[in-house]
Amino acid sequence: MHSHAGYDARELTRFAHKTHPLWWGILGVVTIEATVVASLIASYFYLRMDAEAWPPPGVDPPGLLFPTINLVLLVTSSGTMYWAGWGINRENKLVLTLGTSASVALASLVLVLRGIELSDLGFLWNSHPYGSIVWTMMGFHFVHVVSAIIGTAVVAFLAGIGYFTRERQLGVVVDTLYWYFVAGIWIPLYLVLCWAPRVL
Amino acid sequence: MSVIEPPRQGEIVTRTPEELDRLSSTWESPGGLIGWFMPVNQRVIGRRFVLTAFVFFFLAGALAVLMRIQLMRPENDFLSPDLYNQFFTVHGTAMMFLFAIPVMEGIAIYIVPMMVGTRDMAFPRLNAFGYYVYLIGGAVFFGSLLFNIAPAAGWFNYVPLAGIEYSPGLGVGIWTTMITFIEVSALTAAVELIVTILKLRAPGMSLNRMPLFVWSALVTAFMIVFAMPAIIAASSLLVMDRQIGTHIFTPETGGQPLLWQHLFWFFGHPEVYIILMPALGIISTIIPVFTQRPIFGYTALVLSLVATGFIGFGLWVHHMFATGLPQLGMSFFMAASAMIAIPQGIQVFCWIASMWGARMRFDTPLLYVLGFFVIFVVGGISGVMVAVIPFDLQVHDTFFLVAHFHYVLIGGAVFPLIGGMYYWYPKMFGRMMDERLGKISFWLAFIGFNVTFFPMHQLGLQGMPRRIYTYLEELGWGDLNLLATMGSFILAAGFLLSLFNALWSLWRGAPAGEDPWGSPTLEWATPSPPPNYNHAHIPIVSGRYPLWDRRGEESSPVVVGLRDDRREVLVTTVLDAEPHAVAVMPAPTIWPFISAVAASTGFLGILYHPSFFLVGFFGAAATFTMWFWPRRPWRDD
Repeated sequence: MHSHAGYDARELTRFAHKTHPLWWGILGVVTIEATVVASLIASYFYLRMDAEAWPPPGVDPPGLLFPTINLVLLVTSSGTMYWAGWGINRENKLVLTLGTSASVALASLVLVLRGIELSDLGFLWNSHPYGSIVWTMMGFHFVHVVSAIIGTAVVAFLAGIGYFTRERQLGVVVDTLYWYFVAGIWIPLYLVLCWAPRVL
Repeated sequence: MSVIEPPRQGEIVTRTPEELDRLSSTWESPGGLIGWFMPVNQRVIGRRFVLTAFVFFFLAGALAVLMRIQLMRPENDFLSPDLYNQFFTVHGTAMMFLFAIPVMEGIAIYIVPMMVGTRDMAFPRLNAFGYYVYLIGGAVFFGSLLFNIAPAAGWFNYVPLAGIEYSPGLGVGIWTTMITFIEVSALTAAVELIVTILKLRAPGMSLNRMPLFVWSALVTAFMIVFAMPAIIAASSLLVMDRQIGTHIFTPETGGQPLLWQHLFWFFGHPEVYIILMPALGIISTIIPVFTQRPIFGYTALVLSLVATGFIGFGLWVHHMFATGLPQLGMSFFMAASAMIAIPQGIQVFCWIASMWGARMRFDTPLLYVLGFFVIFVVGGISGVMVAVIPFDLQVHDTFFLVAHFHYVLIGGAVFPLIGGMYYWYPKMFGRMMDERLGKISFWLAFIGFNVTFFPMHQLGLQGMPRRIYTYLEELGWGDLNLLATMGSFILAAGFLLSLFNALWSLWRGAPAGEDPWGSPTLEWATPSPPPNYNHAHIPIVSGRYPLWDRRGEESSPVVVGLRDDRREVLVTTVLDAEPHAVAVMPAPTIWPFISAVAASTGFLGILYHPSFFLVGFFGAAATFTMWFWPRRPWRDD
């Protein structure tokens, strides 16, 4: 059996971003994590279903102020990530470095506020089932913000030493995708943790 | 670059020996002791998955035989009650988590990239990471038996029995941690399989031309992505209940033990289809080869796989019929459980039609598939029976269930799997397995299986509960139990004979050549065992049966223009597999191994002190960074 040339791959790009397998891989990670969040939310409502009072008598749900500020900060940080990507698409390495660094700074502020909020909750994870699931969900998101910060700090550092170019920006694209997820997943968690006890 | 003058469309291309050497050294895995921890090639990792999984299979099988010896006669004292509990917990958990999922994924990792005509999985280093996580998790889990601290709360680890109050000690902690590890490994493999299948197929292999085994791997991988997170969430919640005093599953403080069952079975029911699905793909692969004609009802088979994937998520409550859930909800799950018979039935009819009137070659792979039909249909019938709530309440927690799920798991998954091993062994090792030994092994396993498990239906109807370590003589269960134990020896002999056959054939098997069975799929277009780069050129496909389509042709089209001095693979579109990019795959590295060790240290340490979570988290983050760190010179073309 001979082979004959049927397709020439010489001219194809070696720098695909949104068609690169890694982009799809991050999408897979996001799907998995979102399913974990769905499991936690289902657990929250399952525990609530058979509880006599939810939250337990004398316990207040998390306050609205800091979580709402965090929501705004996370949405803003997604904007700065978008701006960073916009910059590198125009070969502007400075915008990329500034944008990713700004996102890291905003998310670090989220962690500070989250820390204050957790210490002011008035209950611990071992106080009652309500406390357990609320701490679990908040902690879950906290850990994800930390991992997004670490990843993006690495991207910001590589941007600072000039690694990324308009073509070589796969790392930025996939980090941004993950960032959007970490920021966006706060919306359902925020609604469940802060609004469901007040509205439902 | 090797080609100075690029070949024009249609021009004959050949690889010179120097080019093949260069391609081979580009895709080579490092040797030596350190090198053992570095390879990332899909076939190396896939083979390790399969071999490790079979080690666990034989260990867990040995536990089963020991349990059968204990149950051989009434009031036997061969095993102590506690050891018996550890054995059935480890047997069940190992068979489900350490054997069934990894072996199916291992085969998919080995076969799928070659079947779709590419050179590696989409994320080679992640592949290696998944293997080490699995190896460490499995070894620690099984090793706990040696220290007599193995988990003993059953493979589904129900709370409150699995809570800290009723299961103190390390056992359940090891279960939850190691299960999470193995789930992580399964999830990495699943994402990789999805992306490999969707993005790295050979040009022309549109979705409707994909081999059925690839379809089954794809559906399996999607099921893993949506099922496993539930068990990861459940295990994490249980670890926290046990280690830091949360109250999710503790009824005395307002927690919900049933929540564990929901989360566990939301994963656990799709899990059995995750195990079954690749086996269905193996059957659809073997039947056309041994009848030498296309499969009947390709589209119906694909749709059945997809339908099973969806319905599989709507069945979990049928494991919980005895928990007192609302009637209406249970009726829904009863209907869904009966509905799964429709796609399964369609598949069986398609296979029968494929074999109808064909001249079949009754070699060992086909024998195992035919054995599947008999056993799986029996398991399916008892499945429809236990799907009916009144019947289920009668046989709940009896040996009838044990009979049922061994019929569907061993009959549905292990028999096709062994058939698949006989079928792909020549490709993996370049030699044929012995036919005569294979046939003897099949008949021993088939007879032994039925002698072991068929009497259990009757034992269950007579009221013998599962998970008991002994029983009184007056109950009259002794004879059938003795028969089942005799059967288990025959069954074990059958599987051991196949193991011996596999080892013996490594040296003595007849050389296989490229394509000993006359198969239609692309993995058979490479030498056996395949070279480091799989295919000398990435092939171009124009039908469902590429190797049969090109019979009688002089030349087949291939892709040219990929560099051979670095690991380049072609990226194609999801639906039609039109080429649209080239991805450069990463080279071997030790970082995935170090990441796996860092993560294991941290997450095992949690059993001693919760602060080890930080070690695991930051250790993994640091090693991941090293693993992704761009190496100079940075790519510039």
